[in-house]
Amino acid sequence: MRAGMTGYILKRLLLIIPTLFGVAVLIFLLLRVVPGDVVEARYMGQGGQFQSQEQMQLERKKLGLDQPMWKQFTTWMAGIARLDFGLSMWTGSPITEEIKLRFALSLQLAIMASTVATLLAIPLGILAAIKQDTWVDYAVRVFSIAGLAMPSFWLGILMILCMLIIFKWLPPMVFTPFWVNPWENLAQLFWPALAVGYRYSAVGTRMMRSAMLEVLREDYIRTARAKGLWMKLILSRHAMKNAILPVLTIISLEFAFLLGGLVVTEQVFNLNGLGMLFVEAIARRDYTLTQALVMLVATTFLIVNFAVDIAYAWLDPRIRYR
Amino acid sequence: MAVTPQTVEDLAHAGRSRGGWWSVVADFIRRRPLGAIGAAIILVMVFLAATAELIAPYDPLATDYAAMLAAPNKTHWLGTDAYGRDVLSRMVYGSRTALMVGLGASLLGAVFGSMIGVASAYFGGRVDLVVQRVMDVFFAFPVIILALAVVAVLGTGAGNVILAIATPMIPRCARVVRASALSVREMPYVDAARAAGFVHSRIILRHMLPNVMAPILIMATAFLGEAILLEASLSFLGLGVTEPTAAWGLMLRGAAVEFAESAPWMAVFPGLAISLAVFGFNLFGDSLRDALDPRLRTQ
Repeated sequence: MRAGMTGYILKRLLLIIPTLFGVAVLIFLLLRVVPGDVVEARYMGQGGQFQSQEQMQLERKKLGLDQPMWKQFTTWMAGIARLDFGLSMWTGSPITEEIKLRFALSLQLAIMASTVATLLAIPLGILAAIKQDTWVDYAVRVFSIAGLAMPSFWLGILMILCMLIIFKWLPPMVFTPFWVNPWENLAQLFWPALAVGYRYSAVGTRMMRSAMLEVLREDYIRTARAKGLWMKLILSRHAMKNAILPVLTIISLEFAFLLGGLVVTEQVFNLNGLGMLFVEAIARRDYTLTQALVMLVATTFLIVNFAVDIAYAWLDPRIRYR
Repeated sequence: MAVTPQTVEDLAHAGRSRGGWWSVVADFIRRRPLGAIGAAIILVMVFLAATAELIAPYDPLATDYAAMLAAPNKTHWLGTDAYGRDVLSRMVYGSRTALMVGLGASLLGAVFGSMIGVASAYFGGRVDLVVQRVMDVFFAFPVIILALAVVAVLGTGAGNVILAIATPMIPRCARVVRASALSVREMPYVDAARAAGFVHSRIILRHMLPNVMAPILIMATAFLGEAILLEASLSFLGLGVTEPTAAWGLMLRGAAVEFAESAPWMAVFPGLAISLAVFGFNLFGDSLRDALDPRLRTQ
């Protein structure tokens, strides 16, 4: 380990804490600005039955909603410090239990989608760069910009439609964990992963293309070509190594957002993931659950961000630590 | 590495030397065919939105219970939806909603984002530090989650959707603009303006902002496509523009998915409209970036 690295890592790690605190404050306040709370949401759901004010106050007291805001916030913070996220205000079961099941699904989908994105972006980006300004380049660019343009939920609808009409087959609608029945599991998650992965490959493809173009103009590539090396070898050994880093960065940064941000895709494919849970939690004014979900996604993002930064500093000797 | 003459100055000069707007347009089409296609798509969309009353064959809200879920035919070119409303007419009017929300959100995002970005770079020091930390907080949210949270606070409807979409865009714009503004701050004319005793707001608005217009313009066009997509997503979830307004995302919701097999036109055409619109803005934005960003000139 190089000198200064430890200090840099520590500093970056410490910076995560105030950001997370900011996220916590922001989502805490945002939720409470909205009129109505979980108690009202629940009684509205029960056919608008009029409940006595006292009963509702009693419920609020049970959930701790009658306490002043600062007290609610400190209670929540104290819980987080002990890694205790409390109970869902709606179901009353522990939040870790609520999240656990959905997390497995969302994590798998995020991994699969990132894989699809990587497998599309790198070869396509290289191809477009080598064949710059030919029809191949144009085709790849149109393909990737189209990926950015098509809403992944619409792509999902089209996929389902095609499978229905052509194959008379639908992907399974109930989630089966991978270890229970891998085939069933993949049959369900493959399509959403493809729809989402295609979209996220677009940015990667364009990045790979421009990074390759930049690298291909470097002196050492010219030297390698002058030495009479195979183009194939030059690309795989010399050029790709240097061009691939930013692409992997962007895909890994997206990863954290794939984990919690696939709200719409999950809806189309009827997947019970973190995104759906988030929408449900907001609609039910389930403060504790919404807060926990936001903190989970934000923490993942910050940690991935941190890991990428450290990996960069580690791999690239030109980067100085500040 | 020869610098190919594909720059803004070129485009601008072409207009002046060879005279007339036509040569500028012809030049753009020849040099950036993809960008020209994008611009054409945008123009068609603007035209449809502006003249929706004249073009749409039916009132987008008129229900015809005799022709529910009708397949595309002579009277309803793209079929009807579950309420017997004409899909084509709703799509034409939908372009209005998409443009309005897209323009509104990206304008709002770009204006506030660039002001924050430039101010942050100009003041530097502690102000910059605090602003950057606050931006970091916003960056830790996935875009759609932040938009959903804002909708939860403000409620649904077109106006609130614009605010909800602009919110996640402000920090993104601020970050990019700040980076460019940092180098502008070091320019002698900013020092000169300071020495002349101008107030901060004047230096920021009159001296710095015009010089970071290029990245702002690039961000704003990129936002436009993204905003249209985000509006469609929110509306699709039922948390964006509300019924009975004609909006593409809304048209894909509910019955479109339910009856996808028997009435696929309901699910296919509005999605096509979204994709085309976003595609057009992205193509145009890309060419604009290539033209305005000197670092990418030769690529």
